[in-house]
Amino acid sequence: MSVLADSLEHLVRGIVEHPDEVRVHLITTRRGRTLEVHVHPDDLGKVIGRSGRTATALRTVMAGIGGRGLRVDVVDTDR
Amino acid sequence: MSETVQTKAVEVEEPGEATRDRDLEQLLVNEGDVAGDYLERLLDLLDYDGDIDLDVDAGRAIVSVDGGDDLEKLVGPRGQVLEALQELTRLAVQQSTGTRSRLMLDVAGWRAARRAELSEIGTNAAEKVLSAGSSVRLQPMTPFERKVVHDAVAKVTGVQSESEGEEPNRRVVVFKAS
Repeated sequence: MSVLADSLEHLVRGIVEHPDEVRVHLITTRRGRTLEVHVHPDDLGKVIGRSGRTATALRTVMAGIGGRGLRVDVVDTDR
Repeated sequence: MSETVQTKAVEVEEPGEATRDRDLEQLLVNEGDVAGDYLERLLDLLDYDGDIDLDVDAGRAIVSVDGGDDLEKLVGPRGQVLEALQELTRLAVQQSTGTRSRLMLDVAGWRAARRAELSEIGTNAAEKVLSAGSSVRLQPMTPFERKVVHDAVAKVTGVQSESEGEEPNRRVVVFKAS
């Protein structure tokens, strides 16, 4: 795990109902670095926030730490 | 986002007021503790040097992080990273206590320094309006920044201020009081 993924995982765990189900992976491609966030389906709304406000805050903080060009994707799995 | 106007402690003339004050104080101390843990763990993971100081002032929890140069990354341009981190910290507190938090986060003394600067910007704009008569539109600012400017303008007689536009381009406009 990378420091970036660990940090984001911690930030997300603090704001959800099911912290144990939070997983963050750092994926590096030629197009750049992306942090993929997986949460319990019931927590998706919390991580995204009203009008995407919380997801934006997560992106802003991670860009501050990891530099510009670091993407954060909240992954909408199953259902 | 709307401006958070500092609400004065509501005077309630009922028995049990003292108990409620104690409960509020306890809630705010608790907010600080949760926020402190959340941020401390972040600093640990990032290996940033930082001391966390907790306080309660004017009915809200105040969390200040001070330490090494790395902390600048948690402030960011125009304090935007700081605002985002404050937002997340409030959510973490809300998740833990079940109550909406208005806690204020400062990192590397950024708010304290910016506050003095912004007060001056507000006062200068007010004086310019008084002497020139036309209104003054300031640069886009964060909600915290606008609040400080509004407070400074409010201290000058004969002028008023309002915010206009949408985030992140919302800005303060100072004009002659009607």
